[in-house]
Amino acid sequence: MNILLILAYVLLFLAGAFLLYMAFRTDDRRFIYLSVAFYVIFPVLVTLRLPTSISPEAKQLYDAVEALPDSSTVLLTFDYYPSTLAETEPMSRAALKHLFRKNCKVLTMTTVPLGGPSIAERVTREIAGQYGKIYGIDYVNLGYKANYVAVLKGMGSSIEAIYPTDNSGTPLSQIPMMKHIENYSNIDFIFAVSDNAIVDYWISIVHAQYGKRVGAGVTAVSAPQYFAYLDAGQLAGMLGGMKGAAEYEMLVKQPGSAVKGMTAQSLVHLFIVFSVIAGNATYLAKRKRRGGEKA
Amino acid sequence: MSIIEFLQIWIIAFFTLSLFSFLYRDNPFYRLAEHIFAGLSAGYYVGLVWNSVIIQQMIDPMFDNGRWWLIFPGFLGVLMFSRFSRNYSWISRLSLAFVMGNTAGIFLLSELHGKVLPQMQSTMLSLNPGQGFAKFILALVVVVGVLSTLIYFYFSKEHRGALGGIARIGIWFIMVSFGAHFGYTVMARISLLIGQVQFLINDWLGSLIKIFA
Repeated sequence: MNILLILAYVLLFLAGAFLLYMAFRTDDRRFIYLSVAFYVIFPVLVTLRLPTSISPEAKQLYDAVEALPDSSTVLLTFDYYPSTLAETEPMSRAALKHLFRKNCKVLTMTTVPLGGPSIAERVTREIAGQYGKIYGIDYVNLGYKANYVAVLKGMGSSIEAIYPTDNSGTPLSQIPMMKHIENYSNIDFIFAVSDNAIVDYWISIVHAQYGKRVGAGVTAVSAPQYFAYLDAGQLAGMLGGMKGAAEYEMLVKQPGSAVKGMTAQSLVHLFIVFSVIAGNATYLAKRKRRGGEKA
Repeated sequence: MSIIEFLQIWIIAFFTLSLFSFLYRDNPFYRLAEHIFAGLSAGYYVGLVWNSVIIQQMIDPMFDNGRWWLIFPGFLGVLMFSRFSRNYSWISRLSLAFVMGNTAGIFLLSELHGKVLPQMQSTMLSLNPGQGFAKFILALVVVVGVLSTLIYFYFSKEHRGALGGIARIGIWFIMVSFGAHFGYTVMARISLLIGQVQFLINDWLGSLIKIFA
């Protein structure tokens, strides 16, 4: 590693420690915000990649997709709002790269009204362009439909009944790829990328009632609750937050924004751990001093 | 870069910085961004639901495919507006009753078969030490964790004696769970910040560099 880079990071840690000291001294939390901003901005400006290990749950999901026969049909969901793009979009991008590399037929959909349909359209078209895939033959964007429970149940009988047209208004009957896809029985795997509780319904409705294998990419906030489903074998694999997205990017050997963001993530976590220890040590020292003064 | 893309990036950057400005203190830029977001979201949502539900799932099937029975769910939907009248708000209960009955019917089976039974099954593990040390310890942790946590939430008897001891073990498991949730939540929030910082540095400052280059 470059000596200047090490020096820059040492200075960054010293600046963080000074700002933390100022926060404790003045009781002004804005110093903490400033130090977090330093730790996030600096790694984006100066490239340094800290090692990121691959978790078993991400490897499980990768292996499940890898085990699909080439040209399988996969339903990829974009069940997330623009507010969580930093975590979820890299998952969708990495998933699409993996699926298109395996020549899978990709069906995309969303149950999220704000942003979901346009994110699916933008991301899928961009990645499909990189792999020379053609709309209507290799992939189709079904778009959005309200009432996700009815949508998930209804697609078990007929996808066309729920989505008479694709996202741009073309009737499904006129799309070549959809001629062989009637309902879940024609779908080999479901890759649900979500920032809300919809994954619960992919598990409890589609996996439980239709026996479809479901893999999930979820935000870090909701990741802990899905480990129970993973252990029970109800999920084929899982990506949790930006770390999960970075792991999948590394597994498909296409590092993207999640891998780049992990250095900042690690630095901020180190800072928070240090802040918690320093905060508690300061509190205990103050209490001891007060106790001494009283005595 | 087209002029549309350029404007798009600058609008996103303006609203991002306006929202971040709240970290310093409340200010008119933050409130402007907040109000525009709320208004835009509501407007977009109304338009989307009108098109994807009312038009695509009711009007079009009725007139194009002759599915006139869709008038009944449509009518139930209209009844919901009676909530705005003090005298006739009771009528909306008819629609709500339909929704509740329907939801209960769907969820009863899916929750039972999709969540309760598989989750119960996955905690019923063998405690035979012959299965290997690691597996045995893991099974022991799951069984003790589930039982002690369940006992912690049993409030019909005072938590004293053996019951209190087991409930105390349950508290430790709950605390570990809270710790995991907290760690993941920090990661989630920082990820969102990283995403916006990446946008500001790569896209917004990048657009500035392109102008001057």
